[in-house]
Amino acid sequence: MNAALFPFAIFFAAIFTNNILLTNYLGMCSFLAISKEIKTSVGLGIAVTFVMACTSLLNWLVYHYILIPLGLDYLRFIVFIIVIAAFVQLVEMIIERVSETLYAALGIYLPLITVNCAILGAVLFMVIREYSMLTGFMYGLGSGIGWFLAILAMSGIRQKLKNARIPRGLEGAGIALIITGMMALAFIGFTGMIKVS
Amino acid sequence: MAKGKTKKVFLSDIGKDNPVFVQILGICSALAVTNVLKNTVVMGLGVMFTTAMSSFTVSLLRKIIPGRVRMMVETLIIAAYVIVVDIVLRAFVPDIERQLGPYVGLIITNCIIMGRAEAFALSNSPGLSLVDGLASGIGYSYVLLTIAFFRELLGSGTIWGYNVLGSGWTNWSIMVMAPGAFFMLAIFIWVVKGLVLKVEDDAAVKTPVQTPAKEATA
Amino acid sequence: MSATTTKVSFFRERIFPILFMFIVTVVFITAVSGVYLSTQGTIKLNETLFLKRAILFAANIPVPQGGAAIEKVYQLRIKEVKDSSGAPKYYEVMDANGTELSGYVVYGSGPGLWGTIQAVIGFDKGLEKLTGVDFIKQDETPGLGARITEDWFRAQFRGKSGPFSMVREGEQSTTHQFDAITGATITSTAVRDIVNKTEQNVKSIISN
Repeated sequence: MNAALFPFAIFFAAIFTNNILLTNYLGMCSFLAISKEIKTSVGLGIAVTFVMACTSLLNWLVYHYILIPLGLDYLRFIVFIIVIAAFVQLVEMIIERVSETLYAALGIYLPLITVNCAILGAVLFMVIREYSMLTGFMYGLGSGIGWFLAILAMSGIRQKLKNARIPRGLEGAGIALIITGMMALAFIGFTGMIKVS
Repeated sequence: MAKGKTKKVFLSDIGKDNPVFVQILGICSALAVTNVLKNTVVMGLGVMFTTAMSSFTVSLLRKIIPGRVRMMVETLIIAAYVIVVDIVLRAFVPDIERQLGPYVGLIITNCIIMGRAEAFALSNSPGLSLVDGLASGIGYSYVLLTIAFFRELLGSGTIWGYNVLGSGWTNWSIMVMAPGAFFMLAIFIWVVKGLVLKVEDDAAVKTPVQTPAKEATA
Repeated sequence: MSATTTKVSFFRERIFPILFMFIVTVVFITAVSGVYLSTQGTIKLNETLFLKRAILFAANIPVPQGGAAIEKVYQLRIKEVKDSSGAPKYYEVMDANGTELSGYVVYGSGPGLWGTIQAVIGFDKGLEKLTGVDFIKQDETPGLGARITEDWFRAQFRGKSGPFSMVREGEQSTTHQFDAITGATITSTAVRDIVNKTEQNVKSIISN
C-alpha cells in the first residue's frame, strides 16, 4: 500500500475494522451509561470525537518534542492524562464563554470525557504503534467517529428496547452488553475490507 | 466499632456493591484482558494495589485538597501509582507486561479507582479507605478471574497456558475475541443478578409489567 | 467583610490550589522517578536478555535458564556484525566450540495487524534452510495474533525453506508450508510476508 495513503487507511480502520469500542473495549463505562437516549448519545459522541482528535495531536507533539528528547518517556501516563484533563477544562471554559447554546448542548458532557478510557487509550495505542503525526491524528479522529457510530447505533437499539420485556437479571447493563457483543460480531465482518500495510 | 465497620465495608465491596456487576465500573479492562488467565491475574493485582493505595493517599490528603483541583489531584495520584505498577512489572515480569500492552496504563482510567476515591476516600479515614480500595479490587478481580477462566478454556482449550481439553477440542475462537467478552460478562451479570441477588428484586418490585404495552402504541 | 478576610480568601481561592497542585505534582513525580531510576538497570538488562534469547532461539541453539547462562552461551556462539554507524546489522552463528561459522541470524520486520512486527530469522551456513524464527516486537491481539510467540509457531520454521505459503492450523505437509493461527489470519499473513521478504534479501544483507 502506498505510504501516502496509510493515514487514511488507518482512519477507516479505526472506524470499522479496529473500532476502539467494539474491538478494543475502550470507552465502555460512559457508553453503557449514556446510550439510553439518542439525543444525549449524539451530544456525547460529538464531544468525544472532538476531544479525541485534538488530544491525539497534542499528546503526539508533547511525546515527541518534550518527553522523548528529555528522556522522560516513563512519565507519559501522568503527562498524557494531565494534557487531556487540561484540554477538556479549557474547552469547557471556552464554550461556556463563547456560545450558550453550544454549552447547553455539549458542555455538560465534557467532564465525563476526562475519565473516558477511550481518550487515553487512543493516545497510548498511537504511541505504542509508533504512528506519525498525521497518522496519529487520523487515528484519533477515526477512533472518535467509530466510538460515536457505536454509541449512536446502540442508543437507537436501546430506545426500541424500551417496549420489550427483558429478563429481570439482564435489565440495564446485561442486555446492553449482549447488544454490544452482537454489534462487535457484526463489525468483525469488516475485517479484510482494508489491508493496513 | 471500627472492626465491625471494616468488615461491613469489605463485604459489601465484594458482594452487593461489587464494582463490576453492580456498579458497572471498570468494564473496559474486564473485557480486554480476560482472554488469557495469566494476564487477568496480573491485571487484578495491579488494580487491587492501585485502588487500595490511591484511596489511602487521597484519604490522607482529604482535608487539605482544594475543591477546585480535586479531580486533577486524584488523577495525578492514580497515574503515579499506575506508573509504579508498570515499572515494577517491566522490571520483574517483562514477558507479561509485554502481553498486557497499553492496558496497564489504562488502569488510570479504570472508573473503579476514581469512583472509590470520590465516593469513599474523600469522606473516610485512611485505614478504612485502604480496606475499601482493596476490597473493591478484590471484588473486581474475582469477577474477571471467573470470566477469564471460561474465555481461555473455551477459546484456547488451555488454563494458564496448559492444554487441558486435548487435541480433539475445536477452539471457540469467538471467546478470545471481543464478542465473546461481551457475552460472557453479560452472562455473568445475568447469573449473579438473576439468581444470587434475586431476593432484592422480588422484594422491591410489586408493580406489574403491563405498562409497556400502552407505550407501544405511541 | 474586612480587608484581611478578603486577602485570606484570595489566597485560598486562587493561590493555594495552584501551589498545592504544584507541590503534589513535584512530590509524586519525584517518587515515581525514584522507582524508575532504581529499576532502570534491571529493565535494561531484561531487554538485552530478551533480544539475546530470541537470537539464540532463531539460531536453533538451546536457550539455557538464567541470565548468566544465556550470556555465556551468547558470548561463545554469536558474533555481532555491525554496520558503519555501529548498529548491529546481522549476527554470525558459531558452532558449539565457538570456532567455525555455522549460520546467520538477520532482522526482519513488516506491518502486522496493529503495528510493526520485528523478528529475528536464523539461516544455516548456506542460506538455504531456516534455523528458526523469533519475534522481538509485536503488538498483536493477545490470545490470537500474539500466539505467534508460542513455541510451536516459532519452532515450526526450523529446517524449512521458502517461499512460504500458509495453510490451516495443523495441515502443514511440505517444507514450504507453515501453519497459520486460527482466527489470526492477518497476523499470520504478515509473518509469512516478513519471512519471505527476509529470505529473499538475506544474501544481500550478509554480503554488504
